[in-house]
Formats: sequence, structure tokens, C-alpha cells
Amino acid sequence: MAYMEDFLAATGLTKSFDSVQVVNSVSFTVRSQEIFGLLGPNGAGKTTTIRMLSTVLDPDDGDVTIGGHLVAKESDAVRKLIGVCPQELALYPELSAIDNLVFFGRMAGLSSSEAKESAADVLERVGLTDRAKDAVRKYSGGMKRRVNIAIALMSRPQLLFLDEPTVGIDPQSRNHIFDTVLALRDEGMTVLYTTHYMEEADRLCDRIGIMDEGQIIALGTPAELKAQVGDADTTTLEEVFLSLTGRSLRD
Amino acid sequence: MGRPSLLALFEVKRFLADRGALAFSIALPIVLFALMVGVFGGDTSFNSTAHVADLDGGDAARKLVERVEDVDGLDVRQYTEAELNDALDRSAVLTGFVIPAGFTGALESGTPAVVRVKRRGNGGDAGQITAAIVQGVADSLASEYELRRALGALVSENVSPEQVELHTGLLLGDARRNPPVRVVSQTLNEQAEEEDILDRLLPGVIVMFLLFSVTLNAQTLIEERRNGTLERLLTTQLNTSQLFAGKFLAGVSRGMLQTIVLLVLAFVVLRIAGPSALAQSAVLALVVSAAASAIALVIATVARTEDQATWGAVFITMFMTVFGGTFFPIGDSGVLELLSRFTLNRYAIDAYEGILGETATLGDATFEMALLGGVAVVCLIVARMLFRVSSEAK
Repeated sequence: MAYMEDFLAATGLTKSFDSVQVVNSVSFTVRSQEIFGLLGPNGAGKTTTIRMLSTVLDPDDGDVTIGGHLVAKESDAVRKLIGVCPQELALYPELSAIDNLVFFGRMAGLSSSEAKESAADVLERVGLTDRAKDAVRKYSGGMKRRVNIAIALMSRPQLLFLDEPTVGIDPQSRNHIFDTVLALRDEGMTVLYTTHYMEEADRLCDRIGIMDEGQIIALGTPAELKAQVGDADTTTLEEVFLSLTGRSLRD
Repeated sequence: MGRPSLLALFEVKRFLADRGALAFSIALPIVLFALMVGVFGGDTSFNSTAHVADLDGGDAARKLVERVEDVDGLDVRQYTEAELNDALDRSAVLTGFVIPAGFTGALESGTPAVVRVKRRGNGGDAGQITAAIVQGVADSLASEYELRRALGALVSENVSPEQVELHTGLLLGDARRNPPVRVVSQTLNEQAEEEDILDRLLPGVIVMFLLFSVTLNAQTLIEERRNGTLERLLTTQLNTSQLFAGKFLAGVSRGMLQTIVLLVLAFVVLRIAGPSALAQSAVLALVVSAAASAIALVIATVARTEDQATWGAVFITMFMTVFGGTFFPIGDSGVLELLSRFTLNRYAIDAYEGILGETATLGDATFEMALLGGVAVVCLIVARMLFRVSSEAK
């Protein structure tokens, strides 16, 4: 695949909460139309990084540029380019999938008719057209995860943030999400993907950054990362991960 | 339509989709008000029936029955002796009066006459009061017969018995119209007496449930902060100020909807006020809802957990309800009056009471409206300063 220029560039991102440094001078780029994986153990700073990249959190230091716009100064322009699927099921369970989608679409700046049209499209993409009018609380865990992703797709973003999108779901739903993410990439979307599942990252990601204790400790394609530890053909990404982050338990 | 308005409309849609919230906000106040009407409503003066078996059938017995029937709030139902005994046996009647045969003759001859009172148990409160009334009427009747008999014995042969009867009747009639001793009642709290308790209960219940449902909604704001929907909204075109404004408008819309439904129901069922009063009440509801919504936002920004928000809302609502004069008059001075000044309810209820009672207009409620509006503005400023979208410090 021929990659275009960098769509996202983070430089020296730093963030502390109550004097605890959660993200420490993180720098990386995400190229247009690639799936970039951000891996790391619990508490590595992945979600905080995504929150800074997606305009929710102001960094203490550092810059982020997305689609040529500086996040700190042009957050409105940046928000038009991004879609965010948070780790939590950030939706309204008492309402239907279609109501959730249309609402978030309207908030993203779509007109009523555009929001309805987009909702129909994304529901078909995530395989929930038949259940569109059911209250989300009646959905299975996998279906809720798919609605969570669908909301992020409503404004047809150029850059999609997926923060642990497959947590706690069955293999069928996970596989459906994989296919969706790959299809989105093939259609030209750039994806920043965080996960705990190494085989997932190995299967999906074009490049991977491994975070630990608030820092990027390794960056490259899956094959490049494996080659750092052993034979690229026989080494697994999990072995790379454990080799780089250690085997001690994390909170 | 701006994004805050869209957000507010969406929140109303969520409210309407939540059966529990609807039941709490609209059905429960209706049920509570209906119960209160049952307990406090209706005529509060004494009403009872004297159940009488007249075995005498004479002139004095007939007069006794007529005069008991003339007493305000007292009806007479006549029975045969067997019917009265049967009703007493079945407890259909708790107190019955039997005028025995010879009652009229005894009064005319000056020998002791008897009215027998038959009771089941203590006869019931109404029965005891009725018995005391019958006793009074019988005493009065006996005095009249005694007077006639005494006068009859004193008259000379030149005065006919008819003339004695005529003049005695005139004198006694005059005495009844202008009694030599009159018992005069004086009501000390005249103003309270004039007010129907329901006039205050309706606005009280409306304001109480408005405060409850709107402030308890603060808990859902914290839930949204926890599950990430607030933060997710900030990745759309919505900024923090618009999000805050939307949540405020949502509380106002919800409060307005709830209040207007209750007012219209009260209008239809109880015929409490005319269209003008209803329209003015809707304007007042806007200000009250704004104050309640702003208080809810303060709770949501101060509380760290959903439990804290819930208990904060319950405490504030209960304090304002109890000390705001929802269930009893506040009075003009004292600790209760002092505490009531720190409640929304006092001002809201006072204003609603005047408007719904059609004794005042919105113009007369300017002070209350200004005060409630001031509370809304101050709380909004405080809440905006403290408003957090994320559960983590930003």
C-alpha cells in the first residue's frame, strides 16, 4: 500500500494529573489511510493520549496536528475531521440505535436529513439495520459495541479513533468489527486503534506504537517490531510486547 | 435550531422514553394530590344524621324531631322501633334515639319525660355529638312545656287557654330569635380559615415534584460523565458552553413539561382556574423550572458520585419542601418563617397560589419571580464555573 503524508503528528505530548505524569513527551505520526495501533499495558497512558488527540483534554505540553490543523488552536476544524469511539459504551441505552445515531450526527453538524441518511448507512455497515429501532439496552454486548463504533462513523470522519473497541465481546462480533475497520481503511479512512489483544493488533495494524509508563518505547510495523526481539516469522507480537514492557503485573 | 436546543429536545425525548421518570414526575404527583384531597378535602364542618324512632307520635315528639332537623348540619331519619334495633344490630347505625310512647303526655303533665339513646359501643364521635345536640333540644322543649303549664295554672278565667298558648308561643319564638344568652364564636386565624388547604397543596405538590425530578436528574449527568457520553459530545461540534447550556435548557424543558401537564390536569379535573391564570402559571413555571434546573447543575458539578448527587438532591428538595410551606402555613414570624426564606418553594407556592386562586396576577408576583430568576442566575454562574465534563480533572 502506498502511504500518503502524515495525517496526524503528535510532538512531545505531556500530561499530568495531580502531579502524576500520565503521558511523558510522546511523539509519533499516523499516516493517511493506515491503521495505527497504540498498544500498552493498563495505565500506560493510551486513553489519555487519545483524549488529547481528540480535543477533549488539553496537553500540559506538546502539540498535535491533525489534517494540517493544530488541535490546540483549531479544535473546531479538527473535530470536523475526526470520529471517536471511546472505550466506554458512550451512548444512551434507553433510546434506539437510530435515535442515538441521529442525535450524535446532529451534534456533529449534520442536518436532520443527512443524519438520518448517514445513520442508515452506518447501521448497515455494522449489521444492525434490522434492530435499528430497538432500545439499545436490549442489545447484546457485541451489538452495543457496534453501535458505539457506528456513532463514531456518523460524520464520515477522515480519522477514526477506536479505543479498545472489542473489549468483552464474542468472536463473531469481534470479527465483524475487524472486517469493518479494514473496509474503512480500504475506503481511505485513517484509523488510530488501541487494544490489549496482540493478535488483533497483528492482524489489523499497519504500524504499531507500544506505550509503557507514559512513553512510546517502540514504533514500527509488526514485522519490524518482531525483528527487534527475534525471528520475525516465528516471534509473536505478544512476545515482543512482554519483552518490551516486562512481565510484572500492572494496575 | 441551535445545538443547545437540539440537546435539550433530545433530553426531553429521553425523559419521555423513561417510564420510571414519567411515573415519578407526573403519575406520582397526581396520586399524591388525589390522596391529599381525600384526606384534607371536602366540607370540614360537622354533618350527621339523627336516627329516630318516634313511638309517641304526639305534638311534643313531632316538635322535638322538627327542631333537631332544624339544627345546621343535622338530618333526621325516622324508623320504627324494630327497624332502628335492626340497624343498630347490624352496626349500620351506631347511635339511635327512641321517643317512647307517653313522651308528649309527660311533658304536658309536668312529669319527667325520657328520650332513650341506644348506642353501639360508644356510639361514635358523630353519635356522641348528635346525642348532645338532641339533649339540648329536648331540654329547651321541656322548658317551653313547663312554662306553658305554669302559665296555664296562673291564668284567670277571663283568659282562654288559646290566648295563653298564642302569647306563650310568641314569647318563646321571640326568645329563640333573640336569645337572652348568645354564644358567639370568634376565629383567631381568620386568614388561614378563609384559605382552602387545597389551594396551597396543589402548587406545593407541583413545586415539590418539580424540584425532586429536576434535581434528581443531576445524578444522570454524573452517570453521563462516568459512561463517557458527555466527553463524547465534546468530540463533535458541541463546545463545553453549548453542552452546559443544553443541559440547563433540558432541565427547564423537563420542568416546564411536567408542570404544564399537572396544571392542565388540575384545570380539567378540578376546574381550579381560568385560561388566563393557566397562561400566567406557565410563565411562572418557566422561572421556577429555570431555578430548579440551575440548582440541579450545581449539585451535578459539586457531587463526585451518583449517590452524592442523589442524596444532595433529596436533602435540598426535602428541606425546601418541609420549610417552604408545602404542607402547612408558614406564618408571619418565627423560626419556620425564617427558614422558609431560604427555600424556592415559599416564593413559588405564594406566587402560584395567588395566580391559580385568581387573587393575583404575574405583576403581583414580580418579587417572587425576580427572586427565583436571581437564584437561577447565581446558580448558573456557580455551576458553569465548576462544570466538568470528565470524571478526571481536566
